[in-house]
Amino acid sequence: MLQVFSKIATRNPHRFILASNPYSSNYRTASMNSNEMMEAQGTVSTEGNHSRFESVQSTPDIEKKYVHRVYDAIAPHFSATRFAKWPKVAGFLDSLRPGSVVLDAGCGNGKYLGFNADCFFIGCDISPPLIDICAGRGHEVLVADAVNLPYRNNFGDAAISIAVLHHLSTDARRRKAIEELIRVVRKGGLVLITVWAVEQEDRSLLNKWTPLCEKYNEEWVDPSSPPVRNQSNIVLESIAETDEHIGAVKRRNDDLKRSSDGLEDNANVSCSDSSNIDEHHKTQQEYFVPWHLPFHRAEIGGASAAALENGFAKRDDKKGTVVYNRYYHVFVEGELQRLVAGINNATIVDQFYDKSNWCIVLEKL
Amino acid sequence: MRLLTHNMLASNARGASTGYPLKLQVVKWTTKEAEPNADFLRGMLPKLDWAALVAATHSLGLPGLLPESPPTDAELSADGAADDEGSALRRLHRALLEIHIEEGTLVCPDTERCFPISKGVPNMLLHEDEVRN
Repeated sequence: MLQVFSKIATRNPHRFILASNPYSSNYRTASMNSNEMMEAQGTVSTEGNHSRFESVQSTPDIEKKYVHRVYDAIAPHFSATRFAKWPKVAGFLDSLRPGSVVLDAGCGNGKYLGFNADCFFIGCDISPPLIDICAGRGHEVLVADAVNLPYRNNFGDAAISIAVLHHLSTDARRRKAIEELIRVVRKGGLVLITVWAVEQEDRSLLNKWTPLCEKYNEEWVDPSSPPVRNQSNIVLESIAETDEHIGAVKRRNDDLKRSSDGLEDNANVSCSDSSNIDEHHKTQQEYFVPWHLPFHRAEIGGASAAALENGFAKRDDKKGTVVYNRYYHVFVEGELQRLVAGINNATIVDQFYDKSNWCIVLEKL
Repeated sequence: MRLLTHNMLASNARGASTGYPLKLQVVKWTTKEAEPNADFLRGMLPKLDWAALVAATHSLGLPGLLPESPPTDAELSADGAADDEGSALRRLHRALLEIHIEEGTLVCPDTERCFPISKGVPNMLLHEDEVRN
């Protein structure tokens, strides 16, 4: 059933901040709330020894660890499960003029490449193993970053971004990725974007996801830094839904602490204390979503052995799988529209909810 | 990588003004025959940077494949063009779609930054210190 779109959400104070190991030299901050981001985009300023605003195009650690590395490790298994063509995407591709050049940004295993035999598809993805799979099927593909497409302006007739933007961890990056899709198509070109919705049709799915929250960690404040809301000190970690889960979260976080590759999870503080009460009232949009990689699949790639050793993935002996977590920022109703509102050469020509995804079709003006 | 794709690729690294066209250094390339689609090729013509396409064919050691000036739509639509290997249509088809660069390097004209092509796949990812602010 199609949702009628309510007015665009004006709530924006979702401070989703990441911190890497404060003891490493690679102390980076990702972006902040929307207002600050609008001003900060493209700006670098310094406070103390740290840049306050990181480049939109630099990949935040959470994406490196819980998107890039995971997909690299699970690529063949992931690809084997990705074959069903989603009717709405199929319909969009079938509607394109014959001879269209279609750019698939974040093409994954290439499920949609070549879908319309009258069009020429070029796919890109940030995961080399997934691109290998596409290339093996004879598709025209390259390894590239959806936030920074290596294409000149106005070349494509259409672009698609299917289940991609929800892996980007800041508002600024999500907006930039949309701007890139618009930039690379011609005037009049169409862009289809689909993302996972907060409003899942199967609510029980959320029980399998790990909600993530933000928390200060005061002892990491550098004495020379500005006081209190120093962006760089906010930590991303799991929250316990109930007291019963707190023990489990603490144990899980202790496991995660064993990460030894220099990119600490820092997920060593439970979110149960009172300073996080506010967080629970906001719409939860940040999650780890598990991927169960069967043991026999894990043998094939050595990545899983290393991941288990680092505490980056865990064994589920009951299911016989190595469990990876994938980072998701699931979208609320109206959020895609809000992101697009700031792009003055794009107009919305269709918008809908389908199978737990928010979808939008844009036309470049 | 086909030359059609090459015609679209640009370096987006810091310091690149246009980053286009990327210079092509080819180590290995092949030809894979495909059925020409006249409508597709005629539709592609206005999108192409012709000079960049010609330069790419020169890099491959095929200076005679394409004319210095782009063909007209009329030339592409000429009768029997699809069957005539020497026709403007077939030449454009060969250049855009039948040539595959397997191994080589794409070089940014502004910064000389090199992007590898391996097993037919270009890798356009930048390092952290190369992304634009």
